[in-house]
Order: sequence, then C-alpha cells, then structure tokens
Amino acid sequence: MNKWQRRIGNWLTEHLELPSDVILELPRITTIGKIHAYIENHRGLILFSDNELRLKMEYGYLKITGKNFVLKMMLPEEILLEGTINDIQFIDH
Amino acid sequence: MKETQGVFLTGYVTVKVIGHYPELFFDVCARKGVTVWNIKKTSKTECEGNIRLRDIPLLKSVRRNTVYKVTFVHRKGIPFLSKRFLSHKPLIIGLFLSMFFVLFLSNIVWDVKVKGVHPEIEKRIVDQLNEYGIQPGAMKFKIDPPSQIQQQLLNDIPELLWVGVTEKGTTYHLEGVEKTVVEEEETNGPRNLVAAKDGVIVDMYVSKGRPVVQVNDYVERGDLLVSGALREQQNEEDEDSDEEKKDEQQQVVSAEGEVIAKTWYETEVNIPLKTNYEVLTGENKYKYFLKFASVFIPIWGFTDPDFDQIQTEVNERQFKFLKWDLPISFVEHNVQEKTNLSDERSKEVAVKDGIEQAKTDLQKQLGPDAKISFEKVLHESIDSGKVNLNLYFTVEEDIVKIQPLSQGD
Repeated sequence: MNKWQRRIGNWLTEHLELPSDVILELPRITTIGKIHAYIENHRGLILFSDNELRLKMEYGYLKITGKNFVLKMMLPEEILLEGTINDIQFIDH
Repeated sequence: MKETQGVFLTGYVTVKVIGHYPELFFDVCARKGVTVWNIKKTSKTECEGNIRLRDIPLLKSVRRNTVYKVTFVHRKGIPFLSKRFLSHKPLIIGLFLSMFFVLFLSNIVWDVKVKGVHPEIEKRIVDQLNEYGIQPGAMKFKIDPPSQIQQQLLNDIPELLWVGVTEKGTTYHLEGVEKTVVEEEETNGPRNLVAAKDGVIVDMYVSKGRPVVQVNDYVERGDLLVSGALREQQNEEDEDSDEEKKDEQQQVVSAEGEVIAKTWYETEVNIPLKTNYEVLTGENKYKYFLKFASVFIPIWGFTDPDFDQIQTEVNERQFKFLKWDLPISFVEHNVQEKTNLSDERSKEVAVKDGIEQAKTDLQKQLGPDAKISFEKVLHESIDSGKVNLNLYFTVEEDIVKIQPLSQGD
C-alpha cells in the first residue's frame, strides 16, 4: 500500500466510520480474558510453541506469550489461540 | 467454530508433523484451504493437529513440496467406525440373525388366555381354538382376524352369549360370557287372552281360564277369547251375596291356552321373467405377495390365470415387530373364475316361483308354527318383463294375545 492509499484509508475511517481493520489491513485481535485470543487479518505464522506465538502483519509482527498454548483453529487469515495469555506485543521492523 | 462442526460425522484424523519449525507446515496448509484445529506443539520438532478426512489429499500434495514428515496418529469419526464395524462380518451376521429372530418370535402366538367362563366352557373354547390353529406356537399371520374368530366361536359354542377376542402383542385374550338359561318368568298376574287378528276359530285348547268363544266362531281383533275371571260377570248383579261370595267372584287366574284360527293374508309379489346371476366356476388360483407399504412383491403365482371374468378375494396379514405393526404384510389373493348365467322362464313357472316365494316370506313372518293351507291368485299381470301377482293366503295359526287384568282399585 502506498502513501496515497493510506491517506485515503485514514480519511475513510474517520469520516465514513468504516471499520479500520478492513480499510487499513490491520489485524483485529479479540481476547476473552486471558484464555482466548482471536486474531484476524494476519499475514502468516512465523513461530508457534507451547508458550509463544508470532504472527506476521502488514507492518512488523505480533508476539503473544503465555502458557499452554493450543491453536484451536487455523484458517487462512484467522487464528484462535487458547491457553494462558500473559503479554501481547506489537513489534515493528 | 462452525468449520469444525459435524466433523465426527464426516471423520477426521490427527496428524503429526516432524521437522524443524513444524508449525509452519500447518500455516502452509491453512493457506491452501485446509482447516486445521487443535494444534499442539509436543516438542521442538513435533507438532500435532486435526484435519478433516476429505482434506487428506490436499495435505499430501502440500507435503510433497516440503521436507516435513507426516504421520497419522488417530482416526476418528463415523467413516472409520463404520469401516471397522463392517470388517467384523460375524457381528453383522449375528445382528441380522437376532433381528430376524425377534421378528419371527413377534409373529408367533405365545399365550392364549381365557377369562370369565367356567372351566368346562374354557376347555371347550381352548379346544375349539386349537381346531382353528390358535395355540401357543402358531404363526400369527395364518390366523384370522379377531372379529372373525369371535364369530366362529359364537357359532361353534352355542353356550356362549358373547366372546371378546383381543390380540395384545403375542397373547390372545379371550373374555366370554355364558348364556345362563333363565326359566321364563311365569307371569302369575291375572290375565285374559284376546285375539291378535281377525279369524275363524278352528281349534282351541284352554288349560287355564274360562273360554268365551267356541270353535267356528268368527272373532275380530281384540275380542276376548279366554277370560281370567272364573265366574261370569252377571253374578255380580246378585246383590244379596255375602262378603265371602264377593271374594270368590273376584277370583281371577292367569289364563293360558292356545286358540288356532283361520286367518287371511293378501300379499303382492313381482317376479322377473328374465334373471341374470353370477356363478363361480370353481376354477381358482392362489397368488401370494409381500406388501411393503404400498408395493406388492409377488412370492408365488406370477402369472394371471386366463379367466374371462374374475373375482378376487384378498386376505392380508400384517407382520409385527415386538408390539408394533410393521408396514410389511403377507397378502393372499384368491383369483376365482366367474361366469354370468342368464335364465328365462315362462309365465307359468314365474307364477309358481312367485307363490313359493310369497309363501316362504309369509312363513318367515309368522313363525314356524303357522300352517299356510290355501292360496289363490287374485290378480295377475305382466308389466315390463315382470309378473305382478296378488295372492291370497289362508293360514291356520295361534292368534292368542295376552292382556293383563289390572288389579288396581
């Protein structure tokens, strides 16, 4: 996405109240307490282990750490994570 | 979570991926459209996850381009279960046999219970039922329906007033009521005998009471024939009689007797000169079917007999499973040949038949004791193929009718 598109997207979300995750292609993360995390619109899996999950995003990547991680569901652009979540970090390049 | 709904029905497998960063293999799978769930990392180089049975070919094509090693750990769901079940042939055969056995036993009479009658009659009922083929161990679809059994029993055992046959599962319950022979209640009340019809008295026999008519008298309907009062009414005029005598005067009895009189009847009959009727020739053929819902499957007798006209008797017996009626029944068709016969008779024969017919009708109406002694054709005409007759009969019959004497004040 070039600069122009970003600016149009920002304008659209501000003035037309369109959901920002769709327009700006950002991940939407829904958590239920600390036991579930539902991540949509990611760009791929980098790492998964018992206590860490790393997902690629449009800009940078997402790092979730915790315990007893299980991927309850894995679809092309959605991931449902189950376990005990301690930390969600956005890491830029 | 609707992606993993119903996976038990379609079947799913747990796969184990071995290699460096095994989770990346599942990522590739997900991108190719394979739904993966319950992914667990068991060690650094091993990862387990579930995929659908129908996604296995896709998974294999993904694996071909990678260095990962994939093994199947568990197979779950209906397809695997049914496969495993079907591989046990003896089990299936046993299951079918047992079903068949239960089906067979459900169509057998296990018990016949008779209620409400004396042991003597009960024995006769049981014997009679044995004769019909109803006994423990008999096949049910050979047995007539309960209403027919009921009728047969009533015909064959005259002592029974009523019998109820109910079929409850594999047991026949019979409930009987015996006829109790009750002596006709003697009406001891005083009564007269009067004439029920007009007629000329031919004969009379009076056992009780005082006859007031004689042989050869003409009586009309309602006339007094035999009086219950033993003394004639005129005596009442005797005013001097004392109390005792008065009591005697009022002495009345229950008149009894038979008065045979000649009576007359006029009847009208129509006799057609030409008659058509159907007769079974006695040629027949049995056909047997199994009926599933409304589909007939022939078991025996596949061809139709070459009869010109047929009359088919249908007999259907339903199969049972435990207490339920199955939509399967055994059907017997008795195809009988029939022919039309037409008969033409002359006028003389028609008149003779008409008189005979009228006579039997009248006899039926009057009872077997009446003696029809004389007949005469009053009028005779032929109209549209029919002979109309006006007949006149003379009958000798008992014309007595009971008339109770009221004893009120």
